Amino acid sequence: MAEQGEITINVTNIENTEQIIGQLMDDYSDDVLHLVFTYVRNQTTAEDLTQEIFIKCYEKLDQFNHQSSIKTWVYRIAINHCKDYLRSWHYRKIIVSERISDYIPSKSKMIDEEFISKNIANSLTNAVMNLPVKYREVVFLHYYEELSLATISRITAVNINTIKTRLKRARELLKNQMKKEV
Amino acid sequence: MDDPFDNLKHSMKKDFEGFSFSEERKNAVKETIRSKQSHPELHSWKEETLISILDSLQDASKHGYDISTQLFRKNERSFESNEGQLYTLLHLLENKKILTSTWSDDRKYYSLTTKGKKYVVACKHRGPQQSALLKNLIEEASL
Repeated sequence: MAEQGEITINVTNIENTEQIIGQLMDDYSDDVLHLVFTYVRNQTTAEDLTQEIFIKCYEKLDQFNHQSSIKTWVYRIAINHCKDYLRSWHYRKIIVSERISDYIPSKSKMIDEEFISKNIANSLTNAVMNLPVKYREVVFLHYYEELSLATISRITAVNINTIKTRLKRARELLKNQMKKEV
Repeated sequence: MDDPFDNLKHSMKKDFEGFSFSEERKNAVKETIRSKQSHPELHSWKEETLISILDSLQDASKHGYDISTQLFRKNERSFESNEGQLYTLLHLLENKKILTSTWSDDRKYYSLTTKGKKYVVACKHRGPQQSALLKNLIEEASL
């Protein structure tokens, strides 16, 4: 993971945790927001969850043990938070049933209003966003974040071989989809 | 093209353009943190405050406002301009079975339980064991 200007974490002083979180947000909040978006596929939800994630970071900061980089640590919290959300009762009962109404044919390709495909580049994003979450996750972390498989394994708590398999499967899914479109 | 995801980074970067975590959102986080930070302060004032509250209930049961004026008279100002905190604390003490409450005339009257009375006695003695007991309670109540 590219880490220029890593901030030093010193939690002995309670007052400066607020500053640390401020710094973390300045450095990583956009990255976290994009990461969260790939899981939840809704802009407002992504923003809400990102907010909660940084509050969580504040609460857990004393548990950061310097074994990983702070960015990896923040990502791990973010990913766990997203998965909790996707597993939540609210999401499964309310959001998913709202989604069903989206599956009228004309809208089926549209995930979020901001994500209507306009050109070739965007249609690739769209295709990725349409993948099942377990593939979307590894594709995003590997190709967009350019994280090593070992790091992905660490932050998602998924075995490295499983990740390799998922990447391979994701490539197949995408190729098939593109063949269909052509 | 071997890897269909080769262009992904470029493609997504373009899509994410302008999609960023706003200053308002950041401030909301900081605001929440600040309100959470004022919470640990509970630790610092509670020992005396707690004793005052328990003490004020020793003779008779009282309602919240009564307790608060009595604290004020004792020059215990922890709840000044933050009266709501008193009720949170009372509620916690109730949960810990230190206090019990009854409703009468639309007011909630708090009184000491047997456990609560033991705490008051313990507070008065101030032996090392008692003060550990008290500290424990304070820690639990601050959560």
